[in-house]
Amino acid sequence: MSTPDDLRDLYELYALGVLEEPERRRIEEALQSGSAEAIERLRQAIENNAILTASAPLLEPPPGLRKRVLAGVGIEQWWWGWIGALAAAAAGLLVAAFYLGNQVSQRESELAEARSQAERLIAQSARTNAELARLRHVLSFLNAPETRLVTFGPKDPKPPRGRLLVNPASGVLLIASNLPPAPAGRIYEMWLIPKSGKPIAAGLFQSDEAGNAVHLREGAVSAGAAVAVTLEPEAGSAQPTSTPLFVAGL
Amino acid sequence: MTFFAFLLAAFDTRNDSDLAERLKRRESPAMEELYDRYGKLVYSVIFRIVKEAAVAEDLAQETFLRIWNRVQFFDHEKGAMGPWILAVARNRAIDYLRSVDGRMARKSSEFEGVMEHPSAFVNIERDILNSDRARLLREAFAKLTPNQRVVIEMAYYEGLSQSEMAERMKQPLGTVKTWVRTALKILRNELEEAVTT
Repeated sequence: MSTPDDLRDLYELYALGVLEEPERRRIEEALQSGSAEAIERLRQAIENNAILTASAPLLEPPPGLRKRVLAGVGIEQWWWGWIGALAAAAAGLLVAAFYLGNQVSQRESELAEARSQAERLIAQSARTNAELARLRHVLSFLNAPETRLVTFGPKDPKPPRGRLLVNPASGVLLIASNLPPAPAGRIYEMWLIPKSGKPIAAGLFQSDEAGNAVHLREGAVSAGAAVAVTLEPEAGSAQPTSTPLFVAGL
Repeated sequence: MTFFAFLLAAFDTRNDSDLAERLKRRESPAMEELYDRYGKLVYSVIFRIVKEAAVAEDLAQETFLRIWNRVQFFDHEKGAMGPWILAVARNRAIDYLRSVDGRMARKSSEFEGVMEHPSAFVNIERDILNSDRARLLREAFAKLTPNQRVVIEMAYYEGLSQSEMAERMKQPLGTVKTWVRTALKILRNELEEAVTT
């Protein structure tokens, strides 16, 4: 099956995802039929698109981006954190064992020390595991095909801003930046605001020192709802007690 | 450093296969290498589209997160890493523009099943960004008329369909379609002529 003449020049647009019907459907049919010519045209179009996309003027990325990218995939936080924790555990226990072997008189106090250290490490490792599980959960939410993107605050000169990823069946993921860490005794609380009725509490979260926050609220999201974030007392509130920092329609 | 010199330095595609394999094994230095190799280009492409540094930074981070999450589906023996990363970066930026413009009805990610999935980048020339073809295509782009250049830029850097271009330019759809088709034909013919002479 050969490609009709009127479609030959449109594979680049198809590969960019900007080709409209009926041409788009006709190219898909040609590809689905297994036409070698259509497949070859698509391959060349993908290559041409890569070249033209890459012709943007080159700029130096902000210096902090590299660290942010690596932290974003958990390399710096988890992997080196684990090595550090395990090394600290090994070193601590070796010191404790040596000390106990040579100073019998202090046996009880050293044992207590070693036990306390072990407990601290167990608690730290539990926190790491919980964080890992939470982030894996977030990643599976991001990869769900029904999840769509909503942006808030992009044109605001002041923080915060970011994105909401909404999956009507399974929840809302907030990715915010320029959100300074909440002051002592306070915490950020997310709210789902239905079309009618009171705001529904959607979980508490903190931002990190760089002002970044990720918060996932699981559960179905009703159509036409909005999301808001307020600053609340540390234990959270049943209803908002302060002016929302932002409200984003879904 | 000139653009081409940068490309030659950055896209040492002989190592992309090895890099992808190490990413699949979740080796931390591989992710650092990926950023060092493609970070500048990813950021530049996204900035070219969104024109805002802070947003470009956020979207570049999302791009690398997506690559990290989906590299398991990438064929490290036959796949072309550079074109795949560029497609992911462009789609993130175009999705953002559409979100801001209220053009959510037609997200590029709806189409990613074909055009962003790593499997679409199998048998693509790995060294394409360094190739003579890349240079020829850029030279051919400079030969387009202003209107032809504008519509091509709208497609690549704004994600506009031909109907949306017609609306933006206040021109009949048929005229815009002719500009787009002619522009793409010129680009392709220049390449073919260069190959056959």
